[in-house]
Amino acid sequence: MVNKPQPRVLAEPLTDAAKNESEFVHDVYNQIAPHFSNTRYKAWPVVESFLNDREAGSVGADVGCGNGKYMGVNRKLMVLGSDRSIGLLEITQGRGFEATLADNLALPYRSDRVDFVISIAVIHHFSTPERRLQAIRELVRILRPGGQALVFVWALEQKGKRKFDQDHQDFMVPWVVPRNTASVSGVQTEAEVPPPEEAENDRVFHRYYHLFREHELETLITESDLNSAVEIADNGYDRDNWYVVLTKRIPE
Amino acid sequence: MRLLTHNMLQCHVKSCNDPALNFPLQFQEVELEQIEAEENEALLLNLVGKIDWPALVQTTSELGITGLPPTKPDVVKNDPALMKRLHEILLETNVAQGKMVCRGCGHSYPIKDGIPNMLLAEHEI
Ligand SMILES: [Zn+2]
Repeated sequence: MVNKPQPRVLAEPLTDAAKNESEFVHDVYNQIAPHFSNTRYKAWPVVESFLNDREAGSVGADVGCGNGKYMGVNRKLMVLGSDRSIGLLEITQGRGFEATLADNLALPYRSDRVDFVISIAVIHHFSTPERRLQAIRELVRILRPGGQALVFVWALEQKGKRKFDQDHQDFMVPWVVPRNTASVSGVQTEAEVPPPEEAENDRVFHRYYHLFREHELETLITESDLNSAVEIADNGYDRDNWYVVLTKRIPE
Repeated sequence: MRLLTHNMLQCHVKSCNDPALNFPLQFQEVELEQIEAEENEALLLNLVGKIDWPALVQTTSELGITGLPPTKPDVVKNDPALMKRLHEILLETNVAQGKMVCRGCGHSYPIKDGIPNMLLAEHEI
């Protein structure tokens, strides 16, 4: 592929976190939803085995479920999907899964309820350390004591197709919708939305990402109030991502 | 949205923190739909431990759905008729359209094409 647009360093920090995440995360996913969804069908092995290891009949939450690609991995579970993008949720709902429009910073679920939580490629879209931590706090809040959360975030050190300047962590990452793809959804957003017909040229959308350094995810948790609420059961690197498995402590 | 999901949701407006009022949300103008679901005994038994029974009884009675005992039975497993009814209610009864209204603050959460919109305005978080 020639002239594949590369991630670019964010020259200046985002000034209004909520507004910028809305423009560079939520609106973009709404616009690229069908094309993005068509490229998202392969389950990552660590996520797949986490789901297959759950006890039959467990109830979980997939926060930032996207098109629901993990929701049917283990048919013995009940997974409640939520996402900030209505465009992706319509696809999830259409596949017969539970889909709720919700904000990871203030989840609508009751506390101490679900047996497990997965957060796959979500937390890196929040643009400040406090917002990333708040998103994880909410995942822990809804977990029952003894329940586990699996969190995956993009690694700065990744060795895949994309190269990231190792001196920076905040990037705008392009998403290219090839020309002649009738894939841009008609979801209304504040940004200019191209009509949902076939386009003559490639369209490039930019998503905001905070790329995590090794151990940054664990440190974010252990150096916060969450340290007394969870135990880190596992952590590692898989498919360009750092991941961690948290176990919610059982009160003594 | 299945009724089991409704039992897990609550009003989460920051100032709305009276647990007697912010849960369960009250369905209004709903359109229900029965959609067949795979049988899963382990899931049903886990759900019986997890759901708030009085909230489920209140909600089903408001929707005109019958067949649930007013208090949670000690043993559900040995009652095939109740297991079947719970399966139909929790896993197969879906809300296609309507809204969920908070009895505490009055916030209305719309449900469109089976997807509840639980987003809040910035000042409500
Ligand atoms: Zn309320």
